Amino acid sequence: MSVETDGVELVGDETVENIARAAVFAALTGAMAYVSFPNPVSPVPVTMQVLGVFLAGLYLGPVWGGASMSLYVAAGAVGAPIYAGGGAGLGSLLGPFGGYLWAYPVAAALTGLVAHGTSGLVDPRQVGVPRLVAAMVAGTVLIYAGGTVGYAVVENVGLVKAFGLAAAAFIPAEAFKIAAAIGITRSDQLNAA
Amino acid sequence: MTLAYRPGDGVLHRLDPRSKLALQAGFAAAAFVHTTAPGLAVLTPLAVFAPRLAGASVRDALGEFRVIAPFLLASPLVAGLRLGEPWFEVAPAVHTALASYRVLLLLLVAAAYVYSTPVRDSRAAVRWLLPGKLGAATGVGVALVFRFLPVLQGDLAARRDAVNARLGGERSLRERIRLVGVGGLGRALSRADRLAVALRARCFAWNPTSPPLSYGRRDWLATGVAAALGAAAALA
Repeated sequence: MSVETDGVELVGDETVENIARAAVFAALTGAMAYVSFPNPVSPVPVTMQVLGVFLAGLYLGPVWGGASMSLYVAAGAVGAPIYAGGGAGLGSLLGPFGGYLWAYPVAAALTGLVAHGTSGLVDPRQVGVPRLVAAMVAGTVLIYAGGTVGYAVVENVGLVKAFGLAAAAFIPAEAFKIAAAIGITRSDQLNAA
Repeated sequence: MTLAYRPGDGVLHRLDPRSKLALQAGFAAAAFVHTTAPGLAVLTPLAVFAPRLAGASVRDALGEFRVIAPFLLASPLVAGLRLGEPWFEVAPAVHTALASYRVLLLLLVAAAYVYSTPVRDSRAAVRWLLPGKLGAATGVGVALVFRFLPVLQGDLAARRDAVNARLGGERSLRERIRLVGVGGLGRALSRADRLAVALRARCFAWNPTSPPLSYGRRDWLATGVAAALGAAAALA
């Protein structure tokens, strides 16, 4: 690669902040993939990964939330151990659960879009609970649609069977994450947004 | 589950990251198009050989993906089930079993890339692959994700220990996720703010100097293999 010597083109202040936040939220989502809790309603443990997707949409908005999750997918693809269970590499993206990963950027963008609308970012504390729930339910539906279609394509099974194998067991836990995310946006400990 | 770069001097370690990405893409295309017994039989030696070329064993590479093994095994069985006579059909089960096997081969090849490619090489390849500012921002972002992952993992683990030490284990699942999430998010937001200040202080620019990537004879050979695999997929 040739070295550029034409002078330095600095990145604008606002963009620097957004890139920094997008990268840190992508890393946070990766770190959340390692935290799991026993699930009261299903034998599959609950990981916090999807919570990272919700928070990226809620705190960064549709554009940078989506960018953040794209970074998450890209960093995992080139080898950061940030996918579920510490997975990484293009193999995970093309594997049976790759559909979930492909859906994350779109889901974060959709969550951000429903929560913030199209006229600039709003403090998540100011957004009403029904709207927050709608935003995250929309994100969840997209993630599971992506996951189910991905599993069906990669494993050559029908959509119904793919849903039963790869999605049904995980869905109840999403309600806990949505409730937790609402609790987070209402938390007094957080002053930033 | 520690699928990560392993320093070494395997054949793949000496390849340019771009030729390794091309190999993976060619292999994936060929595997998806030729998901038949003969097609996968031809690709199997390549996939089995890949981790060895990266200085790891096939067993190491398979161990990284043991979490999804039950799904790969269960899919063919479920695909063959029928609600009614004859209850089980062999043809769809075989079809799905081949797909599961294809996944296994792809995972081996992808693991070989991760074993043999340091982060800075991947970052340079990302910058080369994506044009202009998008590539620059993605390259920096990917490097920052690598940098911040262990830090935020530490934050979350510390927060979780703190919650558990205060009898958090007896709280509801929602409350536990919320408590760990609030702590993690708060730390992440303040880290992002400090990172932005640090980036500005160091003249974060759209056109920094990347590590040099060089394409040698080996890389052209690898690209040739990748092109052959891609052609095999396209001509099917």
